[in-house]
Amino acid sequence: MGERGEETLRTYEEINEKIKRGDATVMTADEFVEYAKTHGVEAAAKEVDVVTTGTFGAMCSSGAFLNFGHTDPPIKMYRCWLNDVPAYGAIAAVDVYLGAAALSETRGLEYGGGHVIEDLVSGRVVELRGEGFVTDCYPRRYVETTITLEDLNQAILLNPRNAYQRYNAATNTTDRILYTYMGTLLPRMGNVNFSGSGQLSPLYKDKDFETIGVGTRIFLGGGVGYVIGEGTQHNPQNGFGTLMVRGDLKGMSSRFLRGATIHKYGVTLYVGVGIPIPIINMRVARSASLSDEEIFTDVVDYGVPSSNRPSLRKVSYAELKSGKIVLNDRSVPASPLSSLKKAREVAETLKKWILDGEFYVSKPVELLPTYRELKPLKIKGIEPRVKDIMSKNVITAKPSDNVQYVANLIVRHGIDHVPIVDEENRLVGIVTSWDIAKAVAQNKKSLQEVMTRRVITAKQNEAIDVVAKRLSSYGISGAPVVDEKNHVIGVVTTNDLAKLLEGKGYL
Amino acid sequence: MRFRLIYNHKNLSKPILAEAILKTKVLINILEAKVTPTAGEIMVDVPVEGEKLREVIRFFEDAGVTVKEVAQILEIDMGRCMGCGACVSPCPTQALKLTKDWEIEFDEKKCVRCMICVDACPVKAIKFT
Ligand code: SF4
Ligand code: SF4
Repeated sequence: MGERGEETLRTYEEINEKIKRGDATVMTADEFVEYAKTHGVEAAAKEVDVVTTGTFGAMCSSGAFLNFGHTDPPIKMYRCWLNDVPAYGAIAAVDVYLGAAALSETRGLEYGGGHVIEDLVSGRVVELRGEGFVTDCYPRRYVETTITLEDLNQAILLNPRNAYQRYNAATNTTDRILYTYMGTLLPRMGNVNFSGSGQLSPLYKDKDFETIGVGTRIFLGGGVGYVIGEGTQHNPQNGFGTLMVRGDLKGMSSRFLRGATIHKYGVTLYVGVGIPIPIINMRVARSASLSDEEIFTDVVDYGVPSSNRPSLRKVSYAELKSGKIVLNDRSVPASPLSSLKKAREVAETLKKWILDGEFYVSKPVELLPTYRELKPLKIKGIEPRVKDIMSKNVITAKPSDNVQYVANLIVRHGIDHVPIVDEENRLVGIVTSWDIAKAVAQNKKSLQEVMTRRVITAKQNEAIDVVAKRLSSYGISGAPVVDEKNHVIGVVTTNDLAKLLEGKGYL
Repeated sequence: MRFRLIYNHKNLSKPILAEAILKTKVLINILEAKVTPTAGEIMVDVPVEGEKLREVIRFFEDAGVTVKEVAQILEIDMGRCMGCGACVSPCPTQALKLTKDWEIEFDEKKCVRCMICVDACPVKAIKFT
C-alpha cells in the first residue's frame, strides 16, 4: 500500500506529454469496465492513460456569481431580481449570487434560478431589476434594464455541492402518490426512482479521491471547469462524497445545463459533470473498473417523513438500470431521474477533447478528505409533539350508538370529531359534526351508515408539522391520536394547531 | 386503437356502448367521457384490429354515433427531452420506456391518459394535444 495519490503507473506529466503528441489512450468508463472484464484490470491499467466519466442530473446546490458592471450614477444593489427570480445581493455593489433553487416571485414553481441560468447560457435576454442602498458614493436608488450573458463582466457557475458519488433510490410505501425531489412516487411501492450514473459516475471511478482534488480540471456544463474543494455534506466514508465546482458560464451550453421543475417540489438545475480519471496507480485502476454489478445503493422509503428513512434493501446499479427491481417478492418498475444518455454524452465529449489535444489532466493541488463527519442540525429548545397539543379528554361513541345520541354529544361538548371505538377502546371509525348534520338532514339513524372507517390517525410522539401536512393533504380538520395497539388516547385538530401558533405569536 | 365516439341528442340516452360490447364481444375500454344534456363524447380504446375493428366501428355508425380515430395524443418534444427517465417508472401502464440507448419510447396503445408523466417531466417536454 503506497500513499494516496502516488503516481506509480504513470505521472500527470507523462500523460499530458502523450495527450500533446496525440497518442494518449483514453476510454470512457463504460468502455474501461468492459475492457477490464475481458482483459483483466492489470492489462487495462497498463494500456489506458485516462478514463472519462460523466453524470447529468438535478443538482439543486448550484448557482452562479454574476457581475453586472457599474451604472452611471452608480448603485449599490442590495436587492436584485433576474426575470423576477431573487438573487442574493449582499456582496459588493454589482455582484450577486443566483441560486438554482430560487423561485420566481410571479411564476412560482414554474420558473426559477435554474431556468434563468439556462436562459443566460442560451443567449436569451433576461430582465434585471435592482434596488439600491443609497450612500454618498452610490446615489442610485433603482435600476431596471435587460442583460444577456455577453453583457456581463463575469458569469461564474459555482456549485457548492455537485456530483454525489451515489444517491439513494426512492420508493413510497404509503397509499397516496408522493411528489418528492426524487420525482413522482406511486403509492404502495408502485415504482422506484434512482439517481446517479453508476459505473459512469465520476466519484465512483476514483472512490478514494486519489486523483480528484482541489484544482482538478473537469467538464462542467459543456465547458471547462475546476474542482475547488470538497462539496457541502461531503461524506466519503459512506459513499456520499461530493464536490464543489466552478466554471465560466460563458463557455457552457444549454445541452448540458438545464433549468427544471420537479413537480410540487421546486426548481433545480440539471448539470452535466465529467471528470477525467488519470490511471496513476492500481488502486485507481481498480476503482475505475467497478461495474454496475459492483456498485450498490439503498432503496429508501420516502413515505417516512423523517430524515432517518429506513432502507428497504440494497440494490446494484445493474439491477436499477435493468428497469425493474424486486421489492417484497414483486417486480417494480425502476427508472433514473438523471439522464444516462447525457451522462454517456458527457463522457464521450470529454474523451474526444482529450484525444483532440484540447484538454489536459491536472494534478490536484491538495487531495480531498476521505472522512468527514455529517452532523444533523440539533434543535435546541423544546419542540411540541402531538401529545402536547392534543385534547386528552376524548369523547367517543360506539358503532351501535345512534345518530341522535352523537348529535347531542357534539352539541354538549362543543366538539367536531367523535372517534368510534369498540369495547376495548380500539379505533374503528370516526364521525364529524358535518357527517352528523348530513345524517340528520337525510334522516339516517344508525352510526354504522355514516361513519368513516378508514381513519387518518396521528401518533402522540409525531412532530406537529408532519401531522399538519397530513391533515391538509387529506383535507380534514382533525385526527384521532392512537397508541401502538390502536387505542384512542386523544384527538388533534386544526384548532389545536391554530392555538399553538397563536401562543407562539405567529398569528 | 383509440377512437372518439361523438353522440348527438337522439342517441345519447341509448346504451349503445354496452350493446356494442355484448354484440361484438370486444372489451372496449372507456378512457374519458364528456356528456352534456344534448351531446356527448367518449374516448375509447378498442383493442382489436382488421375485420373485427371494422365490425365495431360499423356497429357504432349504424347506431348514429360518429366515430373518429384519435391519432397521436401525447407528444414528446424531443428537442427538450433529456432522456432522464423521470416519466418512465411513474407511468402506471409502462407506456413510456427507455431504450437500450436511454432514449425515450412511447407506446400509444398502452397509454390511459392519466397525465402523471406530464407532471413528472422536469422540463415540460410532454404535452397532450
Ligand atoms: S398519460 Fe399516464 S399512461 Fe399515458 S404515458 Fe403518461 S403516465 Fe403513462
Ligand atoms: S421526464 Fe421529460 S425529459 Fe425526462 S425522459 Fe421523460 S419526457 Fe424526456
